[in-house]
Parts: sequence; C-alpha cells; structure tokens
Amino acid sequence: MTPRLYGLAAEFDDAAQLVAAARAARAEGYSKMEAYSPYPISDLDEIIPGINFLPMVVFCAGAAGTLTAWFMQYWIAAIHYPLNVGGRPLNSWPSFVVIMFELTVLFAAGAAFFGTLFFAGFPALYHPLFRVDRFRRVSQDGFFLCIEARDDRFDLTGTAHFLRGFEPITLWEVDDE
Amino acid sequence: MKLELQQRRAERVPEPGSAPVIAPGLTFKSITAQISSIVLSRPSPAFWWGAFAVGLLLLLVLVVAVTALLYRGVGLFGINIPVAWSFAITNFVWWIGIGHAGTLISAILLLLNQSWRNSINRFAEAMTLFAVACAGLFPILHLGRPWLAYWLFPYPNTMTVQPQFRSPLVWDVFAVSTYATVSLLFWYLGLIPDLATLRDRATSRTAYRVYGVLALGWRGASRHWRWHETASKLLAGLATPLVLSVHTVVSFDFTIAILPGWHSTIFPPYFVAGAIYSGFAMVLVLAIPLRSIYGLENLITERHLNNCAKLMLTTGLILAYTYVIEPFTSWYSGDKFEWYVVRNRAMGPDAWAYWAVILANVVIPQALWWKRNRIQPKRLFALSIVVLFGMWMERYMIIVTSLQRDYVPSMWWNFAATIWDNAVLYGSMGLFLTLFLLFVRFFPMISMFEVRELLPFSKPDGETVK
Repeated sequence: MTPRLYGLAAEFDDAAQLVAAARAARAEGYSKMEAYSPYPISDLDEIIPGINFLPMVVFCAGAAGTLTAWFMQYWIAAIHYPLNVGGRPLNSWPSFVVIMFELTVLFAAGAAFFGTLFFAGFPALYHPLFRVDRFRRVSQDGFFLCIEARDDRFDLTGTAHFLRGFEPITLWEVDDE
Repeated sequence: MKLELQQRRAERVPEPGSAPVIAPGLTFKSITAQISSIVLSRPSPAFWWGAFAVGLLLLLVLVVAVTALLYRGVGLFGINIPVAWSFAITNFVWWIGIGHAGTLISAILLLLNQSWRNSINRFAEAMTLFAVACAGLFPILHLGRPWLAYWLFPYPNTMTVQPQFRSPLVWDVFAVSTYATVSLLFWYLGLIPDLATLRDRATSRTAYRVYGVLALGWRGASRHWRWHETASKLLAGLATPLVLSVHTVVSFDFTIAILPGWHSTIFPPYFVAGAIYSGFAMVLVLAIPLRSIYGLENLITERHLNNCAKLMLTTGLILAYTYVIEPFTSWYSGDKFEWYVVRNRAMGPDAWAYWAVILANVVIPQALWWKRNRIQPKRLFALSIVVLFGMWMERYMIIVTSLQRDYVPSMWWNFAATIWDNAVLYGSMGLFLTLFLLFVRFFPMISMFEVRELLPFSKPDGETVK
C-alpha cells in the first residue's frame, strides 16, 4: 500500500512559538490542524476550537443518577418490599436523599471520565504522528503543530513554506497507511 | 535546547516571606527525567525493598487473620454484646478518614487554584485509593457472613428481599463505594498524560507495551487537554461535596443510633475535621520519607511541609473545639445517661484511651505553632505519627466507651482486644504499605504534567507561577 500523506508537522522550541504559529495558521485560514504539547496551554483553546459537550453530558448523567436513585428507593421501599418501620410513611424521601446524592455523583463522575475517553476517541493506540520518532518528545518537552492534509487550503509546498516561516526545529511530512 | 537553558537560568521570585513551591533551575527535561527514572531506570533503593518486605509480612498476617475469620467467624474478635463494634469499625473509620486528605488536596485545592498541590496530589490520591481499599475490607469482614456481602446492594433476587434504605448502614455502602469509584476515576484520569510520558521514555519492550496500553493513546492534543481539564475540574467539583459527605455518612452510622455518646448532631463536622486531620498526618508520613529517599526535595519543598502542617494544626484545633463542646452539651442536656458517658470516658475502665486521645490529638500537636516543627522533617514526621495514633484512639474511644455502658448496669461489659483484633489492624497496614510501595515503583508518584505548568516559560506570555 502506498503511504498516504496525513499532514505536515512542525516542532517548536517553546509554548510561545507554538501558540504564535497556531494563531498565524488560523489567521491564514487553516482549520484542520492540531497543536500538541506536554501540558495544557489555555491560549490554544480559542485558536483550535472544538465544541465541548462534556459539561452538558455530565449534567445530564448527574440528573439521571438522582432520578435513578429516587426511583430505585421509592420502588423498593414503597412498592416492591414495603416495610413498616415505626409507622413511618413508605415513601420516606428524606432518608432517600443521601443515596440520591451519592448516585448523582457516581453517574456524573462516570460520565466525566468515560465522556472524556469517548470524545477523545480513546483508546486509540495508533495515530499517524506516532510514526514520527521525535514525536515522543510531546509527552516530555516537545511542542508540535500539525496541519492536516485534509484541510482545503493544504498544499504541500505552500504549507511547508508557511510553517518554515516560524523557524521550527524540524518539519516532517507525516504519512498514514 | 534554548528553552532548557532559559528555564535553568530563570530566577524564581517568591512572594516575600514564603519559600518557593518548587526549587529554581528545574526544566521540562530535568523534572521528566527525575520523576520517570524512579519508575523506568533507577534500581529500587534498599529502603524500598526493606519496607516492601515489612509490608508483605504484614499482608501475610492479614491473609492468615482473614482466613481464620472466614473459617471460625467473628467470635475470634474480642467483641460481644453490648460491645458489638470495636476494632473492625475503628479501623474502618480510621482508614477512610485518612483517605480524605488525598481528595482534599486533589479536588478542593484544585478548585481553589492552589498551585503548591501540583507536586503532592498524585501520591496523595493514591493514598486515598489504598486507604479506602483498606477501609472497605472491615465492614465486610465484620458482617458475620462476609461471603454474603453482596446482599447489601439492591439487586433482583429470588428471596424478594431488599435493603432498608432508611438505614445509615445502607447509605454507607453507597457512600463508600461511590467514593472508591470516583477516587479511582479521578486518579486514573490524572495519570493518563504521565503514563504517555512513561510510554515515550520506556526502554524495554514490556514497559513500552504496558504503559502504551494504559496511556490509551494519549498524544497531548490541545482538544484532548481541554476535555481532560474540563473533566478534572468537574470531577473535582463532584469530589468536593462527596468527600465531605462520606465522613458525614460514616458519622451517621453512629449518630442515628439512640446511644449516649453517639446520638449527637456535632458528629458530622467533628468526623470530617478528624478525617482531614489524620489524612494530612498520613500525607506527611508518606511524603517525608519519599522526598528524602528519592531526592525529591526540589519538588516536595519546605513550603509543602509547612502548608500541610498548617492544615493539620487548623483541623486539629477544630477537633479540640469539639472535644470541649461535646462534654458541654452532654452536661447542659441534663440527661444523666449522656453525662455518665462523659464521666465514664474520662474516668472509667478505658480512661487511658480518652487521655491518650487528648494528649496525642490536642496537647502534643500544639508544637505545630512553631515554624521549626513545621519544616523540620524529622519532627514533623514524629508529630504526624502521634496524630495518626491519636486519631485511631479517638475512634476506639468513641465506639467502645459508648457501648460498654448500656442503660442497664446488668448489661455493662468491658471489651478486651484479642490477638486477631490486632492482626487485622496491623495486617491492614501491611495491605496499605504493599499497595503504596507498588504504586511508587510502577507509577509516577508526582504528576509530571502538572509540575511542568509551574515551570518558568511554560506560559506563552512568559508569565511564571510564583
């Protein structure tokens, strides 16, 4: 199989250079690109936008947890297995509050964790960038910007010329199979 | 290369009067190498092997004790009516309280933007996880028929019976299992970027594969970081009320019972303060040897010791306040049974426990008012051990002295611990020690990516965290 071009990746010296290059690429009209860094850089949030559904998902999961806990306790205590304890009402909701809270937290936390994995597409043990040997620095001290070939404005020589303008340490053509 | 030099030369200007969070001269490269080499390349120090041997030995004691318990039943323990709860429940409350400081550091201090937490949160979270694992054992072992522990959960069954949701003991099942699950998720989420670092630095094929699978394919993409950060903040926001609720629910196990000495509204805040008090003591007991054995003084600095000690002093003072208020309310209630419990604690057959608590939790920790006791590692270590001892004794005192004197004097009975009571207590310490040492050996004990954020030149605008 002939290798297919995934994109052009440039390694930069520090966060400031990476952010400057990403900002310029954005201004140039590139949209299919991604910046890679060894720790979160909040400036990239506006430059490389993406809709963050996570808070919404977590809220819904939390609400589902509250309702599940209430329904479970109501159904068990009042319908399925009613027990008369000192004449208390069967739907004694104040004593259900604790488990309603616990399941709210449990469902919401599960959604936050598994939602992150889902949105990030994890586990994803293969990625074209892993074929670049230097890319292993990304989890240590490397700052990378990759403009992907599927971008409408992508053009091998033009984009390479554009990226070289920011004086990257190195520039690679990243292949995908 | 340029960045490396810039970072090495950057001066750190701390706020006046405070030590810097981490030492000057650290770079992305150096901290990554320092922390990951403990796992990947450096041979384990002799201390690790020694401590691991002790941990395994104590774990063996636990295995023997639990086997005997499953075979013979809870009669092996010194419990009987009316003292039906003693060591097992004391251990449960003690261990779960210890876990609370880890969540406080990882969640509450994250929300409060306390950057000093970044280099101690990882092992504190691991401590939480293993402390909760130890805690979770005890209520189950104490059940009488531990193999039926799953009856505590509501599930469709042919007996058509269900748990009683008006009972705090059932609340506890949900609180503790939720706490354990959320702590695990939070810990693992934070580990993912660091596991990727280990994958990328691995020298052996096995390490590369194992950490590669565990890292799930993390590649530091900005979108992934954004979700990661959102999820961390949301989990922190969820864990904050959770951690306060867990010990509150644990205290409900006592307060809902109509027993003098237990039936008190002060218990939830009293228990939470005590939990954080003992938890910080455990954080220090772990941090002080770790930093000196692995040479981490540049990352776990005087500032960390000082801050943890201050939090310990604060929660200790809250605890001291409840020690004063509790007898006062008993006396002020005019209830002779309530007042009798107070006198029985201070002057009864287990008065030694009461005075040990006062000495270890109130009197001796006042030494923390002096700064040299807060930053001198050996003294702080000794004080932390005293607090851990005091907090165990406190739970023992609350449980046993309240139960040993029932309303009717014909029911009075004094508890005496058997060798099996002690075996499970020390055995659980072995379980904790073994798990913690394995964690130190196989996972990065300091969060690398969060420490990177503290370094000079980490922000694109050149601003540095002080």
